[in-house]
Amino acid sequence: MRLSLLVGAALLAGGCASIQKERGHAEVAALVEERLGRKTRWNQGTPEDAEVARHLDALLKEDLTSDHSVEVALLNNPALQATYEDLGVSQADMVQAGLLSNPTLDGSIGFPISGRGVSEHEVSLVQDFVDLFTLPLRKRVAREQFMADTLRVAHEALATAAKVRKAFSEVQALQQLMELRRMALQAAVAAADLSARLRTAGNITELELASEQAAAEGARLELAESELALVEAREHLNRLMGLWGPRTQWTLSEKLPPLPDQEVSLAHLESLAIRQRLDIDAARKQAMLLWNTLELARSARFFGRVEVGVHEHRDADGPRLFGPTLSLELPIFDQRQALIARLEAQHRQGERRLMELSINTRSEVRAARARLLALRMVADRYRRVVLPLREKVVEQSQLQYNAMQIGLFQLLSAKREQVEAYQGYIEAVRDYWMARADLEQLVGGRLREGSEAPTPSPSQPSQHVPPGPPGPPAQPAQPGTPTGHGQDVTHGTESPHEHPHD
Amino acid sequence: MPDRDYRPVVVPNGSKLPWKVVDNVKVFHLVAEEVEHEFAPGLKAFCWGYNGRVHGPTIEAVEGDRVRIYVTNRLPAATTVHWHGLLLPSGMDGVGGLSQKSIAPGETFRYEFTLRQASTNMYHSHHDEMTQIGLGMTGMFIIHPRRPVGPRVDRDFVILLHEWRIDVGTERPNPNEMTDFNVLTMNAKAFPGTEPLVVRQGERVRIRLGNLSPQNHHPIHLHGFHFHITETDGGRVPESAQHPEGTVLVPVGSTRVIEFVADVPGDWAMHCHMTHHMMNQMGHEFPNMIGVKPGGLDARVRTLLPGYMTMGQTGMAEMGEMGMPVPPNSIPMLGAQGKHDYITAGGMFTVLKVRARLESYADPGWYDNPPGTLAVAATSDELRRDGIDVNAPALVNPGAPA
Ligand SMILES: [Cu+2]
Repeated sequence: MRLSLLVGAALLAGGCASIQKERGHAEVAALVEERLGRKTRWNQGTPEDAEVARHLDALLKEDLTSDHSVEVALLNNPALQATYEDLGVSQADMVQAGLLSNPTLDGSIGFPISGRGVSEHEVSLVQDFVDLFTLPLRKRVAREQFMADTLRVAHEALATAAKVRKAFSEVQALQQLMELRRMALQAAVAAADLSARLRTAGNITELELASEQAAAEGARLELAESELALVEAREHLNRLMGLWGPRTQWTLSEKLPPLPDQEVSLAHLESLAIRQRLDIDAARKQAMLLWNTLELARSARFFGRVEVGVHEHRDADGPRLFGPTLSLELPIFDQRQALIARLEAQHRQGERRLMELSINTRSEVRAARARLLALRMVADRYRRVVLPLREKVVEQSQLQYNAMQIGLFQLLSAKREQVEAYQGYIEAVRDYWMARADLEQLVGGRLREGSEAPTPSPSQPSQHVPPGPPGPPAQPAQPGTPTGHGQDVTHGTESPHEHPHD
Repeated sequence: MPDRDYRPVVVPNGSKLPWKVVDNVKVFHLVAEEVEHEFAPGLKAFCWGYNGRVHGPTIEAVEGDRVRIYVTNRLPAATTVHWHGLLLPSGMDGVGGLSQKSIAPGETFRYEFTLRQASTNMYHSHHDEMTQIGLGMTGMFIIHPRRPVGPRVDRDFVILLHEWRIDVGTERPNPNEMTDFNVLTMNAKAFPGTEPLVVRQGERVRIRLGNLSPQNHHPIHLHGFHFHITETDGGRVPESAQHPEGTVLVPVGSTRVIEFVADVPGDWAMHCHMTHHMMNQMGHEFPNMIGVKPGGLDARVRTLLPGYMTMGQTGMAEMGEMGMPVPPNSIPMLGAQGKHDYITAGGMFTVLKVRARLESYADPGWYDNPPGTLAVAATSDELRRDGIDVNAPALVNPGAPA
């Protein structure tokens, strides 16, 4: 039967019309793993959740590392888990888009009023035929929307990872700073102790004794402050890792790592960001989606409603009639001009958002790298120059003390200055690693130490990156010029969001 | 001529300026230059001096000599030489700007005059004195009498006193220092760098002391003997005005000459009696630690500063023996090991060694005390015999009859 074929085909076209729970998150997990080397999971109350919980406990039992804390957060951050639910919503929309509109069953029965004759009835089954033409495009739009949402969710996961790395560095630094504050306190207490002994011997005044004792109390309060700062930093990390109860008892003994030997080149970083940043990809998909929507509207411009169907009719006395029906809307007045204009505007808007994001990303990458370099210089200066000098000051002070040129007070104050220099160094290293986490977030993935990081596409020896900020955003995103689709891009009007030479 | 007209002086740790006679004029050549000088084992510094020495070599001549002294300036600054205490024409007096044009770097000036007096004198820069004297540009100028005066002396020592500021760990005296000098020297040597004065028992000894310290007078005290001050700057003190002394104050810019007969053998200290002048580079920023009980402090500080030790609770006497590491090129701790114990002295300190028998005037080593002439720990028998109870309260009698 013709009709059944038709309906069957329509149903087939609507295919995969069921919700798959894991769909979407698998993509997110893949994107995240590709960029961070860590798995993420959407906990949905399945039996595997228990396994994940065991894994979490195992991770938390050992000394926490930066990578492990990221892993814990990816598996356990409640905000992230909430974001994963967006994928369910988005997927539902996608499934909805793949469903054909339901056929319409019309039936009518006519009863003779006069009492004469028999009742007349009419049955028709009508399906909006235009669906069959637009469905693939509609599905594509929905799929792209879903993919854009997937990218956005994965981007969230990366942002969470960056926050975790920063919080981790903060905890590391505060643990080390606290050790130093303890040393400073020890020095101050020793000075106060000596003062007390000098006072007992009658060699100094009450004034001098009280000053030293006050200084020691100051050092004690500073230590208390840094103890509190450490508790707060740990709690920040607990929130990011979604931990409570006994799981908050984790320890962390690893010290801040030394700086990597080299920095990744700026040109590489910019193109890396444009290539692998998920929100840029999402914006790109969004622009593409708007374009497809526009195409859809355009292609259906002269389609009115088309309804095909079958109907059966039987008159009271007439023969039983059966045959197809066609109802055609004539697009005379509304040719969807308004809709198309709206979609065109939205498409241009999407293109410009994409461009804004790309330009900002490039700029932010440059700024973050400049910060990284400045902090590297500071930390390096501390490590190579300031710390050895401070060490030498202590060493020479000790010799001068042995030579009875200076007293213990001066010797201890040299030690205190050395400790302060170490504090400055640790803070610089911490700031460096935090800036590096920022930069990693900005380029949308981990930076390998040293040379050019391995990336999905092989890097070119001479990356063609638009020099400086691109001029006023005039050339791309002409209405109807489908730029930004990753196809047919003339390099003369290259956009900041394009991968060079892709 | 030496040994005919006079007995040449002895300059411990020092030197004398050579001369030759040209047309009946004694010709000397002084070269002002930078000198690396060792003050004592372990302390060297860049100083300014003459003919490679700090202080400059002693000039020795005889009353009535005509002397011609060439002065070559190899310093980076102008200089002059003032003949301190000498009677001479004003133009030869060596005061830069006043008496003469100062000697520019690279120039050589000629000083020439006849020595009209017999006395102990000095010479020093008289241009930017604070810097140049502070860096050591001084020397002694001895004029023997043409005809011997007074009893014949067997040993005639020359010692020039000076003081310096050399911060521990530095290698140049700081001439800007006004009061706080930490290296006090005899002939530019601080004990234990000073050579002993070696004398045969019974010899008549003359010690000529000059003081060109920037700031301090030095009461030089000699152990074991009484002496007479026989000369001041102007020359011989009449016998009737001499009186016995144990300590001679040598004011800044002055000379004093003492004489005595070294009739008692032994190792006798001679030193400035200002206690601070008998120390080396000890610091003054060090807190007063006397009487402090370190208790657990050391252990606690050592966790921060390994090797730390509380010092000075009983004074500084033990510091020198402890051998703690100190900055290179410094001699902050006192003294040297002596025969019986550690000698807790530094700076302006030397030893007069009087011996009955001598092979030469080289250092004869430590004195061997004949039995019964050395202070030793008292035995309990002795204490009992003399009724001394070491644990009883120390007794005194009233200062005046009751
Ligand atoms: Cu003195």
